[in-house]
Amino acid sequence: MSRVKGVLAAVALAAGLAALTGCVETAGTSVTTDHLTGNTLVLEDSTRLRDQIQVLRVNYDEVNGLKRVHVTLQSTKHRRLRMHYRISWFDANGMEIDPSTKTYRGLIIEGRDSMTVTGLANSPAGVTSKLRVRDLEAAD
Amino acid sequence: MNKGLFAILGMGFAAALITGCATTPATREVALDRAPITSKLEPQDVRRTVEKMAESLLSAPGVREAVGGNRPVLDVEPLKNRTTQHVDMVSITDSLRMQLLRSGMFRFVDKSTAGTDIEFMDAQANLGLTDQKKAIKPGQQSAAQMFLTGALTEMKTQVGRTTDQYFKFSMVLKDLRSGELLWADEQEIRKESTRPRMGF
Repeated sequence: MSRVKGVLAAVALAAGLAALTGCVETAGTSVTTDHLTGNTLVLEDSTRLRDQIQVLRVNYDEVNGLKRVHVTLQSTKHRRLRMHYRISWFDANGMEIDPSTKTYRGLIIEGRDSMTVTGLANSPAGVTSKLRVRDLEAAD
Repeated sequence: MNKGLFAILGMGFAAALITGCATTPATREVALDRAPITSKLEPQDVRRTVEKMAESLLSAPGVREAVGGNRPVLDVEPLKNRTTQHVDMVSITDSLRMQLLRSGMFRFVDKSTAGTDIEFMDAQANLGLTDQKKAIKPGQQSAAQMFLTGALTEMKTQVGRTTDQYFKFSMVLKDLRSGELLWADEQEIRKESTRPRMGF
Protein backbone atom coordinates (compact mmCIF):
# COMPACT_ATOMS: atom_id res chain seq x y z
CA MET A 1 0.00 0.00 0.00
CA SER A 2 2.87 2.37 0.85
CA ARG A 3 4.35 1.66 -2.60
CA VAL A 4 1.09 2.76 -4.25
CA LYS A 5 1.18 6.00 -2.26
CA GLY A 6 4.76 6.57 -3.40
CA VAL A 7 3.79 6.09 -7.04
CA LEU A 8 0.84 8.45 -6.69
CA ALA A 9 3.03 11.06 -4.99
CA ALA A 10 5.58 10.81 -7.82
CA VAL A 11 2.84 11.23 -10.44
CA ALA A 12 1.41 14.24 -8.59
CA LEU A 13 4.90 15.79 -8.32
CA ALA A 14 5.55 15.28 -12.02
CA ALA A 15 2.18 16.85 -12.91
CA GLY A 16 2.90 19.78 -10.58
CA LEU A 17 6.32 20.39 -12.13
CA ALA A 18 4.88 20.21 -15.64
CA ALA A 19 2.22 22.75 -14.71
CA LEU A 20 4.81 25.05 -13.15
CA THR A 21 7.20 25.00 -16.09
CA GLY A 22 4.30 25.76 -18.43
CA CYS A 23 3.48 28.96 -16.53
CA VAL A 24 5.73 31.75 -17.81
CA GLU A 25 5.16 35.09 -16.17
CA THR A 26 4.49 37.74 -18.83
CA ALA A 27 3.99 40.64 -16.43
CA GLY A 28 6.94 42.99 -16.06
CA THR A 29 7.87 46.56 -15.26
CA SER A 30 6.08 49.52 -16.78
CA VAL A 31 7.00 53.22 -16.76
CA THR A 32 4.17 55.58 -17.71
CA THR A 33 5.13 59.23 -18.34
CA ASP A 34 2.71 62.06 -18.93
CA HIS A 35 4.64 64.50 -21.13
CA LEU A 36 2.25 67.37 -20.40
CA THR A 37 2.55 67.29 -16.60
CA GLY A 38 5.84 65.39 -16.22
CA ASN A 39 4.29 62.81 -13.89
CA THR A 40 5.86 59.37 -14.04
CA LEU A 41 4.43 56.15 -12.65
CA VAL A 42 6.61 53.06 -12.25
CA LEU A 43 4.84 49.73 -11.75
CA GLU A 44 6.83 46.60 -10.96
CA ASP A 45 4.41 43.72 -11.47
CA SER A 46 7.00 40.95 -11.57
CA THR A 47 9.00 40.27 -8.42
CA ARG A 48 11.56 38.36 -10.46
CA LEU A 49 12.14 41.27 -12.85
CA ARG A 50 12.12 43.78 -9.98
CA ASP A 51 15.08 41.95 -8.47
CA GLN A 52 16.99 42.14 -11.77
CA ILE A 53 16.35 45.59 -13.14
CA GLN A 54 15.54 49.03 -11.76
CA VAL A 55 14.34 52.26 -13.35
CA LEU A 56 17.08 54.82 -12.71
CA ARG A 57 15.95 57.93 -14.56
CA VAL A 58 13.22 59.19 -16.90
CA ASN A 59 13.82 62.18 -19.20
CA TYR A 60 11.64 63.55 -21.95
CA ASP A 61 11.90 66.16 -24.70
CA GLU A 62 10.43 67.02 -28.08
CA VAL A 63 11.91 66.78 -31.59
CA ASN A 64 10.28 67.92 -34.83
CA GLY A 65 6.98 68.33 -32.98
CA LEU A 66 7.03 64.73 -31.68
CA LYS A 67 7.41 63.78 -28.01
CA ARG A 68 10.40 61.65 -27.06
CA VAL A 69 11.15 59.72 -23.88
CA HIS A 70 14.45 58.37 -22.52
CA VAL A 71 14.33 55.79 -19.71
CA THR A 72 17.53 54.61 -18.05
CA LEU A 73 17.45 51.06 -16.69
CA GLN A 74 19.99 49.66 -14.26
CA SER A 75 20.88 46.00 -13.83
CA THR A 76 21.23 44.84 -10.24
CA LYS A 77 22.78 41.53 -11.29
CA HIS A 78 26.40 40.65 -12.04
CA ARG A 79 25.50 38.53 -15.05
CA ARG A 80 24.27 39.56 -18.51
CA LEU A 81 20.54 40.16 -18.68
CA ARG A 82 18.39 39.68 -21.78
CA MET A 83 15.13 41.60 -21.83
CA HIS A 84 12.51 42.91 -24.19
CA TYR A 85 11.10 46.42 -24.08
CA ARG A 86 8.39 48.28 -25.90
CA ILE A 87 7.46 51.96 -25.78
CA SER A 88 3.88 52.72 -26.75
CA TRP A 89 2.15 56.09 -27.02
CA PHE A 90 -1.25 57.38 -25.98
CA ASP A 91 -3.17 60.50 -27.00
CA ALA A 92 -4.74 63.05 -24.65
CA ASN A 93 -7.82 60.82 -24.29
CA GLY A 94 -5.71 57.85 -23.20
CA MET A 95 -6.19 55.96 -26.46
CA GLU A 96 -3.16 54.03 -27.70
CA ILE A 97 -1.86 55.30 -31.05
CA ASP A 98 -1.14 52.66 -33.72
CA PRO A 99 -0.28 49.88 -31.25
CA SER A 100 0.84 47.51 -33.99
CA THR A 101 3.64 49.83 -35.15
CA LYS A 102 5.42 49.80 -31.79
CA THR A 103 7.28 46.54 -31.31
CA TYR A 104 9.14 44.76 -28.55
CA ARG A 105 12.87 45.31 -29.03
CA GLY A 106 15.75 43.32 -27.61
CA LEU A 107 17.78 44.70 -24.73
CA ILE A 108 21.03 43.16 -23.50
CA ILE A 109 22.46 44.68 -20.31
CA GLU A 110 25.85 43.65 -18.98
CA GLY A 111 26.28 42.99 -15.27
CA ARG A 112 25.69 46.04 -13.01
CA ASP A 113 25.48 48.24 -16.12
CA SER A 114 22.83 50.75 -17.07
CA MET A 115 21.25 51.42 -20.46
CA THR A 116 19.01 54.16 -21.78
CA VAL A 117 16.16 53.23 -24.07
CA THR A 118 14.53 55.88 -26.23
CA GLY A 119 11.14 56.08 -27.84
CA LEU A 120 9.64 58.63 -30.23
CA ALA A 121 5.92 59.26 -30.52
CA ASN A 122 4.49 57.99 -33.78
CA SER A 123 2.21 61.02 -34.09
CA PRO A 124 2.09 64.61 -32.80
CA ALA A 125 -1.02 63.52 -30.86
CA GLY A 126 1.06 61.22 -28.61
CA VAL A 127 1.37 62.86 -25.17
CA THR A 128 1.80 59.88 -22.83
CA SER A 129 4.45 57.21 -23.19
CA LYS A 130 4.46 53.78 -21.62
CA LEU A 131 7.58 51.64 -21.43
CA ARG A 132 7.03 47.95 -20.80
CA VAL A 133 9.97 45.72 -19.91
CA ARG A 134 9.53 41.96 -19.87
CA ASP A 135 11.70 38.94 -19.40
CA LEU A 136 12.94 37.28 -22.59
CA GLU A 137 11.14 34.11 -21.53
CA ALA A 138 7.84 35.99 -21.80
CA ALA A 139 8.27 36.18 -25.58
CA ASP A 140 6.16 33.42 -27.09
CA MET B 1 -3.98 -4.58 -6.07
CA ASN B 2 -0.68 -3.08 -7.21
CA LYS B 3 -0.84 -4.82 -10.56
CA GLY B 4 -4.30 -3.37 -11.18
CA LEU B 5 -3.14 0.14 -10.39
CA PHE B 6 -0.08 -0.16 -12.63
CA ALA B 7 -2.29 -1.47 -15.43
CA ILE B 8 -4.57 1.56 -15.12
CA LEU B 9 -1.56 3.93 -15.08
CA GLY B 10 -0.11 2.15 -18.10
CA MET B 11 -3.36 2.46 -19.99
CA GLY B 12 -3.52 6.14 -19.09
CA PHE B 13 -0.01 6.75 -20.48
CA ALA B 14 -0.82 4.76 -23.61
CA ALA B 15 -4.00 6.79 -24.16
CA ALA B 16 -2.08 10.04 -23.66
CA LEU B 17 0.57 8.94 -26.16
CA ILE B 18 -2.03 7.93 -28.74
CA THR B 19 -3.99 11.20 -28.46
CA GLY B 20 -0.68 13.10 -28.72
CA CYS B 21 -0.01 11.44 -32.05
CA ALA B 22 -2.81 13.21 -33.88
CA THR B 23 -2.10 13.99 -37.54
CA THR B 24 -3.64 17.49 -37.46
CA PRO B 25 -0.92 20.08 -36.74
CA ALA B 26 -1.51 22.17 -33.63
CA THR B 27 -2.06 25.77 -34.74
CA ARG B 28 -2.40 28.80 -32.54
CA GLU B 29 -2.08 32.54 -32.84
CA VAL B 30 1.16 33.98 -31.48
CA ALA B 31 2.33 37.48 -30.60
CA LEU B 32 3.86 39.50 -33.46
CA ASP B 33 7.02 40.04 -31.41
CA ARG B 34 7.77 36.45 -30.58
CA ALA B 35 11.15 35.04 -29.64
CA PRO B 36 13.46 34.13 -32.55
CA ILE B 37 13.07 30.61 -33.95
CA THR B 38 15.90 30.62 -36.48
CA SER B 39 19.03 32.62 -37.21
CA LYS B 40 17.42 33.90 -40.42
CA LEU B 41 15.71 37.25 -40.78
CA GLU B 42 12.29 36.95 -39.15
CA PRO B 43 9.16 39.15 -39.13
CA GLN B 44 9.97 40.62 -35.70
CA ASP B 45 13.39 41.74 -36.99
CA VAL B 46 11.75 43.52 -39.90
CA ARG B 47 9.16 45.17 -37.64
CA ARG B 48 11.87 46.43 -35.28
CA THR B 49 13.93 47.74 -38.17
CA VAL B 50 11.02 49.66 -39.66
CA GLU B 51 10.19 51.20 -36.28
CA LYS B 52 13.81 52.13 -35.59
CA MET B 53 14.30 53.70 -39.03
CA ALA B 54 11.07 55.69 -38.81
CA GLU B 55 11.99 57.03 -35.35
CA SER B 56 15.53 57.87 -36.43
CA LEU B 57 14.39 59.72 -39.55
CA LEU B 58 11.64 61.66 -37.79
CA SER B 59 13.98 62.85 -35.02
CA ALA B 60 17.01 63.71 -37.19
CA PRO B 61 18.06 67.39 -37.02
CA GLY B 62 19.08 67.47 -40.71
CA VAL B 63 15.63 66.34 -41.73
CA ARG B 64 14.04 69.00 -39.54
CA GLU B 65 16.09 71.72 -41.28
CA ALA B 66 15.20 70.40 -44.73
CA VAL B 67 11.51 69.98 -43.95
CA GLY B 68 11.07 73.33 -42.17
CA GLY B 69 7.40 74.17 -41.97
CA ASN B 70 6.57 72.51 -45.30
CA ARG B 71 5.57 68.93 -45.89
CA PRO B 72 7.94 67.88 -48.68
CA VAL B 73 6.92 65.23 -51.19
CA LEU B 74 8.77 61.97 -50.62
CA ASP B 75 9.07 58.72 -52.56
CA VAL B 76 10.31 55.46 -51.08
CA GLU B 77 12.37 53.21 -53.32
CA PRO B 78 12.29 49.48 -52.46
CA LEU B 79 15.44 48.47 -50.55
CA LYS B 80 17.98 46.37 -52.43
CA ASN B 81 18.26 42.82 -51.15
CA ARG B 82 21.93 41.81 -51.17
CA THR B 83 21.41 38.66 -49.12
CA THR B 84 20.96 35.04 -50.11
CA GLN B 85 17.62 34.96 -48.29
CA HIS B 86 14.34 35.83 -49.98
CA VAL B 87 12.95 38.93 -48.27
CA ASP B 88 9.98 40.94 -49.53
CA MET B 89 11.68 44.33 -49.69
CA VAL B 90 8.59 46.06 -51.12
CA SER B 91 6.65 45.07 -48.01
CA ILE B 92 9.34 46.64 -45.81
CA THR B 93 9.25 49.93 -47.69
CA ASP B 94 5.43 49.88 -47.58
CA SER B 95 5.54 49.58 -43.78
CA LEU B 96 8.09 52.37 -43.52
CA ARG B 97 6.04 54.63 -45.79
CA MET B 98 2.96 53.97 -43.67
CA GLN B 99 4.75 54.94 -40.44
CA LEU B 100 6.22 58.12 -41.96
CA LEU B 101 2.87 59.07 -43.50
CA ARG B 102 1.16 58.82 -40.11
CA SER B 103 3.69 61.22 -38.58
CA GLY B 104 2.27 63.97 -40.81
CA MET B 105 5.74 65.31 -41.65
CA PHE B 106 5.81 64.31 -45.33
CA ARG B 107 3.56 63.95 -48.34
CA PHE B 108 4.11 60.90 -50.53
CA VAL B 109 4.08 59.91 -54.16
CA ASP B 110 4.43 56.33 -55.32
CA LYS B 111 6.34 55.84 -58.55
CA SER B 112 5.58 52.11 -58.56
CA THR B 113 1.88 52.74 -59.25
CA ALA B 114 2.50 55.23 -62.09
CA GLY B 115 1.39 52.66 -64.67
CA THR B 116 -2.00 52.34 -62.98
CA ASP B 117 -2.32 56.14 -62.86
CA ILE B 118 -1.84 56.30 -66.64
CA GLU B 119 -4.41 53.53 -67.16
CA PHE B 120 -7.00 55.45 -65.11
CA MET B 121 -6.33 58.75 -66.87
CA ASP B 122 -6.40 57.03 -70.25
CA ALA B 123 -9.73 55.39 -69.40
CA GLN B 124 -11.19 58.69 -68.17
CA ALA B 125 -10.08 60.47 -71.35
CA ASN B 126 -10.96 57.83 -73.94
CA LEU B 127 -13.73 55.48 -72.79
CA GLY B 128 -16.42 58.16 -72.89
CA LEU B 129 -17.74 57.29 -69.43
CA THR B 130 -16.28 60.23 -67.53
CA ASP B 131 -17.42 63.84 -67.58
CA GLN B 132 -14.45 65.47 -69.36
CA LYS B 133 -14.68 68.56 -67.16
CA LYS B 134 -13.98 66.33 -64.16
CA ALA B 135 -11.52 63.94 -65.80
CA ILE B 136 -7.99 64.05 -64.39
CA LYS B 137 -5.50 65.11 -67.03
CA PRO B 138 -1.87 63.96 -67.04
CA GLY B 139 0.89 66.37 -66.09
CA GLN B 140 -0.54 67.59 -62.79
CA GLN B 141 1.02 65.23 -60.29
CA SER B 142 3.33 66.41 -57.52
CA ALA B 143 7.05 65.92 -58.02
CA ALA B 144 9.07 63.98 -55.44
CA GLN B 145 11.50 66.36 -53.72
CA MET B 146 13.25 63.67 -51.72
CA PHE B 147 13.55 59.91 -51.86
CA LEU B 148 14.43 57.15 -49.45
CA THR B 149 16.55 54.24 -50.53
CA GLY B 150 18.77 51.61 -48.98
CA ALA B 151 19.98 48.03 -48.89
CA LEU B 152 19.99 44.89 -46.80
CA THR B 153 23.28 43.00 -46.52
CA GLU B 154 24.31 39.88 -44.62
CA MET B 155 27.40 38.06 -43.37
CA LYS B 156 27.29 34.42 -42.36
CA THR B 157 29.86 32.48 -40.37
CA GLN B 158 29.61 28.80 -39.54
CA VAL B 159 31.86 27.14 -37.00
CA GLY B 160 31.04 23.53 -36.19
CA ARG B 161 27.43 23.31 -35.10
CA THR B 162 27.12 27.09 -34.57
CA THR B 163 25.87 29.50 -37.23
CA ASP B 164 26.41 33.20 -36.72
CA GLN B 165 24.36 35.44 -38.97
CA TYR B 166 24.66 39.21 -39.26
CA PHE B 167 22.22 41.45 -41.12
CA LYS B 168 22.50 45.15 -41.77
CA PHE B 169 19.76 47.43 -43.02
CA SER B 170 21.15 50.76 -44.23
CA MET B 171 18.99 53.62 -45.47
CA VAL B 172 19.54 57.13 -46.79
CA LEU B 173 17.27 60.09 -47.47
CA LYS B 174 18.38 62.15 -50.46
CA ASP B 175 17.31 65.62 -51.54
CA LEU B 176 16.64 65.38 -55.27
CA ARG B 177 17.33 69.06 -56.03
CA SER B 178 20.63 69.46 -54.17
CA GLY B 179 21.71 65.83 -54.32
CA GLU B 180 22.62 66.03 -50.63
CA LEU B 181 22.09 63.14 -48.25
CA LEU B 182 19.87 64.51 -45.49
CA TRP B 183 19.81 61.44 -43.28
CA ALA B 184 21.39 58.02 -43.08
CA ASP B 185 21.11 55.27 -40.51
CA GLU B 186 21.57 51.55 -40.16
CA GLN B 187 20.12 48.74 -38.11
CA GLU B 188 22.27 45.75 -37.28
CA ILE B 189 20.91 42.35 -36.30
CA ARG B 190 23.12 39.49 -35.17
CA LYS B 191 21.82 36.02 -34.42
CA GLU B 192 23.36 32.74 -33.44
CA SER B 193 21.92 29.26 -33.66
CA THR B 194 23.46 25.96 -32.57
CA ARG B 195 22.41 22.60 -33.96
CA PRO B 196 21.82 19.88 -31.36
CA ARG B 197 24.45 17.12 -31.06
CA MET B 198 21.84 14.47 -31.81
CA GLY B 199 19.15 14.51 -34.45
CA PHE B 200 18.81 15.40 -38.11
